[in-house]
Amino acid sequence: MTTETLRLVTPETPWRVRSKSQLVYIFIASTLPAALTFLIADQMKLAGLIALTIVFLPLQLLAASLAALITVGKRGILDAILTVSVLFLMLTMGFLLGSVALSLVQKGFKALSFHAIYQNSFYVTSVTSLEYGGLGHALVGTLVIVGIAVIFAVPIGIAVGVFLTETQSRMRGSVRFLSQAMTGLPSIVSGLFVFAFLYLTGWVQRSAILGSVALFLLMLPTIIRLSEEVLKLVPQELRYAALALGAPRHKAFFQVIFPAARSGIITTCLLGTARVIGETAPLIVLVTYLPSTNFNPLSGDMASIPTYIYSWLKFSTDLANQRAWGGALALMILVGVLFTLARFFGRKRF
Amino acid sequence: MESLNPIPSNSFGADVHLSTKDVHVWFGQRHVLEGVNLEFPVNSVTALIGPSGCGKSTFIRTLNRMHELIPNAKLAGEVLLKGQNIYAVGVDPIQVRINIGMVFQKPNPFPTMTIRGNVLSGLRLSGKHSRNEDELVENSLQAASLWNEVKDRLDSPAGSLSGGQQQRLCIARALALAPDVLLMDEPCSALDPGSTIRIEETIRSISKNMTVVIVTHNMQQAQRVSEQTAFFLAEDNNPGYVVEAGLTNDIFHNPKDKRTEDYVSGRFG
Amino acid sequence: MAKSQESFDLVDLKLKVSGRGDRLFFGFSSVAAYFAFSLVFLIVIFLGNASFSTFKTQGLAFFTGSTWDDAAGVYQIFPMLVGSVLCSILGLLISAPISIAIAYFIEFMAPPRLAKALTNIVDLLAALPSIVIAIWGAFVFAPVAAQWAQIINNKLGFIPGLQNTSGTFVGSPFIAGWILAIMMTPIITSVCREIIGSVDKDLVSAALALGGTRFSTMRRVVIPTARGGITGGILLGLGRGLGETIAVLYVLNLVFIVNFNILENYGGSVAPMIAAYYGESSEVGVSALLAAGVALFLITLFVNLIAQIFVGRYEKKMAS
Repeated sequence: MTTETLRLVTPETPWRVRSKSQLVYIFIASTLPAALTFLIADQMKLAGLIALTIVFLPLQLLAASLAALITVGKRGILDAILTVSVLFLMLTMGFLLGSVALSLVQKGFKALSFHAIYQNSFYVTSVTSLEYGGLGHALVGTLVIVGIAVIFAVPIGIAVGVFLTETQSRMRGSVRFLSQAMTGLPSIVSGLFVFAFLYLTGWVQRSAILGSVALFLLMLPTIIRLSEEVLKLVPQELRYAALALGAPRHKAFFQVIFPAARSGIITTCLLGTARVIGETAPLIVLVTYLPSTNFNPLSGDMASIPTYIYSWLKFSTDLANQRAWGGALALMILVGVLFTLARFFGRKRF
Repeated sequence: MESLNPIPSNSFGADVHLSTKDVHVWFGQRHVLEGVNLEFPVNSVTALIGPSGCGKSTFIRTLNRMHELIPNAKLAGEVLLKGQNIYAVGVDPIQVRINIGMVFQKPNPFPTMTIRGNVLSGLRLSGKHSRNEDELVENSLQAASLWNEVKDRLDSPAGSLSGGQQQRLCIARALALAPDVLLMDEPCSALDPGSTIRIEETIRSISKNMTVVIVTHNMQQAQRVSEQTAFFLAEDNNPGYVVEAGLTNDIFHNPKDKRTEDYVSGRFG
Repeated sequence: MAKSQESFDLVDLKLKVSGRGDRLFFGFSSVAAYFAFSLVFLIVIFLGNASFSTFKTQGLAFFTGSTWDDAAGVYQIFPMLVGSVLCSILGLLISAPISIAIAYFIEFMAPPRLAKALTNIVDLLAALPSIVIAIWGAFVFAPVAAQWAQIINNKLGFIPGLQNTSGTFVGSPFIAGWILAIMMTPIITSVCREIIGSVDKDLVSAALALGGTRFSTMRRVVIPTARGGITGGILLGLGRGLGETIAVLYVLNLVFIVNFNILENYGGSVAPMIAAYYGESSEVGVSALLAAGVALFLITLFVNLIAQIFVGRYEKKMAS
């Protein structure tokens, strides 16, 4: 039983309140090292990043430790050092990755106009203006090559996942172990294997399908592993319920288990695809770059986004460089889209 | 809001090292505890009882400044340790936690440390120093009634102990910091009856020279172990509050409030 | 990594496969599994054959010698093996502290929404295509990193391993190491974040209640408890770095001379070497390249295996 409030009580966070002097110290510790670094770097004409490491870091560590010592005591020094170090390491990596992102956008943006999506590079030389030509052929090529790999890897991979989770075969351990081992197959080895086994022996002509096979080999172990994990997440109770209702095993799977795991499976496929879409090494070895569009995976050369980039890098003109960067930016956008889709589907869990 | 319950009578006219003044607790916008005014007399055990979900565990965490570690936690009011508000500006929370120790519901000794290491872990974590560590280890384990069982295997991993032993190790660990107050959040709920009795004995002996506050669901335990009791209650979605507080005997056999009487006679909760 | 069901067999239901639907269903999945199995065997046998024939003609010198001459039929990859390990370890030295720092930040320092955003970014970066890093590495990073290398050489060049005789620093293992660090960080961070996040929160509470500061809690409780898993994560990153081809190809100057000086303007690495030399190699040469790939694959396999053991042991410990 509580009476009416006459005096309102306000929620507070007293542990966050700092005294005036504490605030002053914190402010100094946050800004002084940066300011000093600027001055010193300017005086001694140090390259920016050198100044950052050799001057800023020690200064900041010192300032933070002193501030901690004054406001909290001896105990605070190690905490201050920890915080500064963690933030510094994070910023280093953030800076490098930011540079990647910035370069991609800055240098590749001009090469990615609307027409770039559907035009190819047949008449394009290293000095052709960016108004002409594009990477449509590379997009098509990537679609075809990766698409074929996906069409085979996904059903087979999921089927093996089913084998590992729904059967009681004694082979399960070996299959699982081997597919786990194969996830570490270096992409160049996969490419070279297909090169030697299918091409050099003459069984298959030099064509895009070779690339698909190599990508298939790279995707399959990942899809097997991830689909096994996803299927294992489906609660046993669902299986029992379906079987108790009289469903045969395959109906139980398609009508109960698979729908429950569906979002995870979709995520798996998208992630597997995102991983191989940027694979360059096998394609360089197996599928010769073609500046025009070829839809036929069984004969003739074909372009793909990685080999598109690779081919432009051979030239040293500025325009060629921009095209290469444009290709890299397009690739990154593709990977980003796939990844976002994977996250989106992954959210809709039961 | 002025609290309804009067400040509970100081049981023996004894000293009070720990008390709270009008403590309110929020999580974000949700008001979960209101107007708690309690005194915890020194060298005795105070039990906090009440149905689950009425804020006892939340309250106890305001006493050693563990509450603020939860995101969106908010507080109003004061918690006084030896006259000083532990939430005053400039107070070091680490020092507060050294002076006010805590034992949790589930025994949680550090698995990567030996028994000896666990007892001394408070020193290492808080930066406190001790002149004679071996002596400290022995004294703490003795106070927790664990010494005889482990004195020959101080270097074995803490995980090799039984549940009850682990909890006593956690008590020893907290005692090694020589706190003024020991907070215990349902320390026996995860243990078997045999271990429970041993820990209750330990609590009785510890309380001879420190303030002990224990949250418990077990009313018989509250009667066995404590000199004072405070009864918490929360209705529907309203904040929790203290219905009644006073001598354990009075609360259980002579309660002033009908709700208290209903709870201690098992009519609800 | 979500928890999955432990015992998984429908043994207690003892249901037999019945009917055409079921036979097709299980038939197909078995065929798929045997297909995958045979595929692996095929790869193993073929690669094994290539390696064996190379090994027979080259002998132990394949691993210990430093000459690669396709015309003369001499294939030796020692400098490449050394270089792979050197660049990867350099990358680890840079990447491991950064990854652990990011993982720690996400789990213990960041507010919940920032933590979630960062987690997503890190996972996205794990899919970063190597050619993107390659092109950035060659054009944007290498010149700047070469400057750093020069300064390090100027001030600390007396230390063995930091020497440079050519005056140029582009194409050095130093730069390759940084590139590898960038590629390894997402996966190490991802694993370490899961590991650090799965440390029992009760232990952290206990540490804080005992007066633990952020640093002492991390040092005495979090890291020791998570140590095995973190090691596993680092090894997984190493496995990734060893197999990196294109990114290293663009920044490392491949020369068949054993080099331990990270600032010298050349180095070795097996995966890029294979990519670089396949074109001009005879059939025997391709066989030798395959053998080199197998050597690399075996090393990666070994590292990944140990990593799995570490992570597996940690997960078992957490479950108990």
